[in-house]
Amino acid sequence: MSEHDNRSGCPFAFAAAKPSRRGLLTGLAAFGGLTIDGSLSADAAVRPHRPIDAAASGRHRLRFHGRHQAGVVTPQQAHGMVVAFDVLATSRDELQEMFKRLTERIRFLMHGGTPEAIDPKFPPPDSGIVGPVIQPDDLSITASVGASLFDGRFGLAARKPRQLVAMAGFPNDSLQEELCHGDLMLQICASGADTVIHALRDIIKTTPDQLAVRWMQDGFLPVEPLSFGHAPAQPTPRNLLGFKDGTANLRSTDPELMDRHVWVKPGSDEPRWAAGGTYQVVRIIRQFVERWDRTPLQEQEGIIGRDKATGAPLGRSREHDDPAYASDPKGLRIPLDAHIRLANPRTTETASSLLLRRGYNYSRSVTASGQLDMGLLFVCFQADLESGFLAVQRRLNGEPLEEYINPVGGGYFFVLPGVATDAGYLADGLLTPQT
Amino acid sequence: MKLSLSVSAAGFALLGACGVASAASVIAPADLVAPIADYKIYVAGEVDALVKATHDFTEAVKAGDLAKAQALYAPTRVHYERIEPVADQFSDLDKSIDVRADDFAAKEADPNFTGFHRIEYGLYAKKSTDALGPLADKLLADVTELQSRIQGLTLPPGKVVGGAAELVEEIAKTKISGEEDRYSRTDLWDFKANVDGARQIVSLLQPLTSKANAKLQTRLDDNFTKVEAILTKYSTAGDGFESYDALSKKDRTALRGPVTALAEDLSKLRGVLGVK
Repeated sequence: MSEHDNRSGCPFAFAAAKPSRRGLLTGLAAFGGLTIDGSLSADAAVRPHRPIDAAASGRHRLRFHGRHQAGVVTPQQAHGMVVAFDVLATSRDELQEMFKRLTERIRFLMHGGTPEAIDPKFPPPDSGIVGPVIQPDDLSITASVGASLFDGRFGLAARKPRQLVAMAGFPNDSLQEELCHGDLMLQICASGADTVIHALRDIIKTTPDQLAVRWMQDGFLPVEPLSFGHAPAQPTPRNLLGFKDGTANLRSTDPELMDRHVWVKPGSDEPRWAAGGTYQVVRIIRQFVERWDRTPLQEQEGIIGRDKATGAPLGRSREHDDPAYASDPKGLRIPLDAHIRLANPRTTETASSLLLRRGYNYSRSVTASGQLDMGLLFVCFQADLESGFLAVQRRLNGEPLEEYINPVGGGYFFVLPGVATDAGYLADGLLTPQT
Repeated sequence: MKLSLSVSAAGFALLGACGVASAASVIAPADLVAPIADYKIYVAGEVDALVKATHDFTEAVKAGDLAKAQALYAPTRVHYERIEPVADQFSDLDKSIDVRADDFAAKEADPNFTGFHRIEYGLYAKKSTDALGPLADKLLADVTELQSRIQGLTLPPGKVVGGAAELVEEIAKTKISGEEDRYSRTDLWDFKANVDGARQIVSLLQPLTSKANAKLQTRLDDNFTKVEAILTKYSTAGDGFESYDALSKKDRTALRGPVTALAEDLSKLRGVLGVK
């Protein structure tokens, strides 16, 4: 157990870098009692970030059931992985079976427990890599679907989320087909990397004729694991360019903010089943770190728009200071094409293009030319893909940072609404819509 | 036989004591005698066919008949691929007969790169029989040696029953990806041969498997049928197959489901039949 002990860290890393004092206090107050997934369930006025079960070891159990899936507004765990699958079902019934099986596995894995014992003449049902008892370990598994699930195979075309399409390349992209798209996406996050891999292997083993892995990418955060309000506020994590990343991110602790920008609402122009879900963008963005490290500091800071050491907007003193663009209309302090200025110009017109980022850093290997293959596993969520990620990315197209980055994979997905009860399963609203 | 019966009984008692929920195998060790004897006949038939086919193949190579040698490459290999779990028990022969260039740092240039794939490299990548003569002689000598060693081989039940899983693991690992016959692109021949070899074992054991776990047998049959149906789409006249390049991405993905399901199910076959 020792490797899981004494976990502490920033519950807001990459997802919301500026925890409110109130959030921390309520987190403390709720310790041991409630849920953590941000769902509005009947048993309490549930808010995000509250453990329902936390052992002295620092492990927590995230709640699976709720209006929304875990893993979106959930404070970010230290380890994450995205895995895209091809769905092998050939009929609606088989698709339903797959989602039921998937739901059953996610329920079990997030809850933890002891796998069934078995005759040693048989292969063990569990990989055993986290030991004989599976701890929850802050595990969240978030299921989302790609546009290809709505092709002709299952007769679901009319139920496709309005804005869900296959990701098309942007001018600076070099998308590799083998790293793109998928019928189903699972985002698996936990405090331990072993827990993430354990969950993946369980799902692969229990869905052999239902799901085929298409591509995957794992990542890590340069912060300590979740503390759920036990530790003092931690600094915003840094990306592999050495800059604080996530300072201006939406605060996932604010349910109203999440309702406004992240969750698809009932009565929107999306299909009825989609309420409670959200659009997920996944991008594997390689960063040319050797070249970046050979770039003068003032140029790096001008490209990003922040002070590298403190994270403060250029010309300001503290990380969370307002960049005050209005006082710098010509970009003398913060260049007009600086990354943070294009990404979030903080104008009334761009207020709708806020999104919730929940990315990880990744490090893969070396390229054929011997350079490091590492970068940002970008993940974000928004209720409206067009005014969210797409609007932001269009503003970023042509930014000077492009010299140092190259998106190579990913896709657009729609996170299924949460599963409300034991009787429910992921995608039940999609597959059996209420009339 | 007495001994193995008592071991089996002890194993059952132990499991019972642990409170493990599992159906004790309803199959007695003696039940396996007939299917294993039949499997030995199958293996002997395949290895004989392998020697004969290799003879013709290597003769064409040595005669410098490129077209004939190319035509005989895939149909010769299938006899090896069908009995791979038995053949690869002789690791020295398996290496010299079936090694791939990946296993050497110097790849195709390595002098220890021999056997089918080295000749395949000459016939398809170099499009020539030049300098293949000694390699052809070596291949024929190796498969002949394999034949003689198999004659004296004892096949433990676990090896036979587990052989079906081994063949399907082989498919899942290297046949789906098309990395086996990279120069000739005749991977689907090997793919089908592995399937045939696995299905042969499953068929011989079918009465026992059905008795021990009828659902498992049904799933195995269903998934073999699914795999064969997709492969059949690519079959050509005379039991041959189209190039691996003809395999659509959709079908390649579709093959993964039944193949992986077979691998999972076959991994339980030893347990179901109560063999180690």
